[in-house]
Amino acid sequence: MNVMAAHAMHKEILFTGFGGQGIVLAGMIVGRAASLGDHRESTLTQSYGPEARGGACSAQVIIADRPIHYPYVRHPDILVCLSQGGYEKYIPMLKKDGMLLLDHDLVRPQGEWKGTTFTIPATRFAEELGRRMMANIVMVGFFTAVSQTVSVQAARDTVQALVPKGTEKMNLAAFDKGHEYGLAVLKGRRKKESGEKDVA
Amino acid sequence: MIEQNVVLFLCNWGPHAAFQTLQDRQAPIPEEIRMVRVPCSGRVTRALILKCFEMGADGVLIAGCEPGSCRYGTGNSAALNRIDRMRRLLHIVGIGAERLRWGGFLPDDASGMMAFLENFCQELRRMGKTPIVPPPPAADRPVTEAAVSGLLKRHDIYACQDCGKCSSACPLTLTGKPFSPRGLASQLMTGAIEAPEVLNDLWGCITCGLCDDRCPSGVHFPEFIRDLRALHRSGNGPAPEAHGGFFQSLMRTMASPALRPNRWGNLDSNLRVDPESPVLFFGGCAPYFDTYFTRFPEVHTEAILHDALRLLNFFDIHPRVLTEERCCGHDLLWSGDRENFVRLARLNAEMFHAAGIEEIITACPECYHTLAHHYAECGIALKCRVTHLFEFAEREIAKGAIGFKPLGRKATFQDPCRLSRLGKKADLPRKLIGRLTLKGFEEMTDRGASALCCGNCAWTGCDRYTKALQLKRLRQVKETGSDLLITACPKCQIHLRCAMEDPFHGNDLAMEMMDLTSLLVQTIQWES
Repeated sequence: MNVMAAHAMHKEILFTGFGGQGIVLAGMIVGRAASLGDHRESTLTQSYGPEARGGACSAQVIIADRPIHYPYVRHPDILVCLSQGGYEKYIPMLKKDGMLLLDHDLVRPQGEWKGTTFTIPATRFAEELGRRMMANIVMVGFFTAVSQTVSVQAARDTVQALVPKGTEKMNLAAFDKGHEYGLAVLKGRRKKESGEKDVA
Repeated sequence: MIEQNVVLFLCNWGPHAAFQTLQDRQAPIPEEIRMVRVPCSGRVTRALILKCFEMGADGVLIAGCEPGSCRYGTGNSAALNRIDRMRRLLHIVGIGAERLRWGGFLPDDASGMMAFLENFCQELRRMGKTPIVPPPPAADRPVTEAAVSGLLKRHDIYACQDCGKCSSACPLTLTGKPFSPRGLASQLMTGAIEAPEVLNDLWGCITCGLCDDRCPSGVHFPEFIRDLRALHRSGNGPAPEAHGGFFQSLMRTMASPALRPNRWGNLDSNLRVDPESPVLFFGGCAPYFDTYFTRFPEVHTEAILHDALRLLNFFDIHPRVLTEERCCGHDLLWSGDRENFVRLARLNAEMFHAAGIEEIITACPECYHTLAHHYAECGIALKCRVTHLFEFAEREIAKGAIGFKPLGRKATFQDPCRLSRLGKKADLPRKLIGRLTLKGFEEMTDRGASALCCGNCAWTGCDRYTKALQLKRLRQVKETGSDLLITACPKCQIHLRCAMEDPFHGNDLAMEMMDLTSLLVQTIQWES
């Protein structure tokens, strides 16, 4: 294995939530941003089973620097949950050193998994911005900031391209809100680690 | 030829006898000395001292009795105290502490007096003249009917329907003061431009803007008062200024181009500022207030500026601060000295532009309103954004991951008129207060755009009615059952603290005050 290969990226990402929350669209945006925007390889598989009709649905995205031979996600590096059901169903599959992203008004984490967790009130932010259904886009913005698997420019452009015509402006505002919040959270953690939590 | 001017305030008792001996002996008293005989060195106010420098003195000497020999007991100590603070202030403003000196003399100490005078004048010759350019004597321009009617037209005062909504809302009228905005309007319209009632109302108005808020015809009364004051001042001499005109003198002094103030000398070493930053933190007059209002040790308004810097640092902004920062000029404009305001504003604008400033952040509502609005109105266009610290804080906090430590206090809020009413931003401080974790928050009866004034504006017109107004406000504060009064303007703190010490009310109206900036800084923390 050469040096390049050692640093080559291979991230398996699983978005999950209720049917209707726009989980597949979120997966689509991230995947397409990675391939068309950042010129990496990516795949998207989505669940078409009974879960897509109201239960816990999922979108599985793989982003890699080299061709992807197997498109299904068995053990995600990043798990994004917008519903309690989705969280409970998929948390056992998350890698130990993986990353968990939650809507903290909708998901109450429980159980054994204790890895890196980031939470955001995505649905509340979307409501404040005027449409609850933009929670997925807020989450994509948040994901972009904290996971650093896709570039901001690519993600933003893809949001603009994939949301329904006429709603671009609102959705970009939702994306920016999530992204800004993500940056603030990262900054907050950095500050806490360096002992600058408050004004001493 | 005498180059320099030295004013010598001479106490009537010991020092005067010594000085007289010198005169009798025809001793060579330095020519630059102009002697002013006063009853006691303790009676020389700071306003008087500053006035000397403003009018072109290069040095001020105060000769009192030798310690222990004061005729009145406390004259010496009062003078020494005052001079000590005054020297600190002279240093900050850039005149120099060494230009003011005190000496104590016994009646027979003529030689000591001579040495004192010679020594000072020698040192002063070495220092040279002050950088202050004394303002030219005000030209005698009588207030004409044409000028007044021009103002009436410009501010559309003719739209007044004499309905009385202004006087029924005016906080001054409600204290019982013979004062009426509509009365002023109708008298001016009928040509009584110098009637005693007109002058009374003109200088008594606190320009709080409540009448403006209520006027159904949209008459902008405070701005009209402001411009009418400018007209009168240029014609009829100075206004009835509070504190002996100290603050107006201070601001006029700062309108001298060559003056170099020494601000920010006592910054904590843990505060981070960047001399290259395009973001400027504009402090305002707090350090001057603190050296002047030493009667109120609780009022420490410069701490608000340091807290503002802490808040900026918390969000990783390391702003620039300017050592030679001058006053924004708000109070000059609002007490009728438009000429010197414009002079000051030009100097400020030049300084900002020369420093390449792109954004000015300030925590003072008056500086904010003046820089953001009045400069442009007077034809001085700033090439930089002006942001109130609360706008900055709200924007940053709204991004997320910020929380506030609980504070076991029940609080209420005193609106600053320049932000809440004239600036129409009463929601802004409330949004921030809403984010704090207080034990409780209770609004006063009069709040937001309808809030009662802290009692005075632009250091004019302080009288028993404005005091009554302040007491009324403090009673409203008490009625909320709060134990903390949140303020957002250093002057609200000064005025309300003065009213709290009203001897007739003992400790009944006392309450702790804290600026919203300090409150944010004390409790803000990262959460994620």
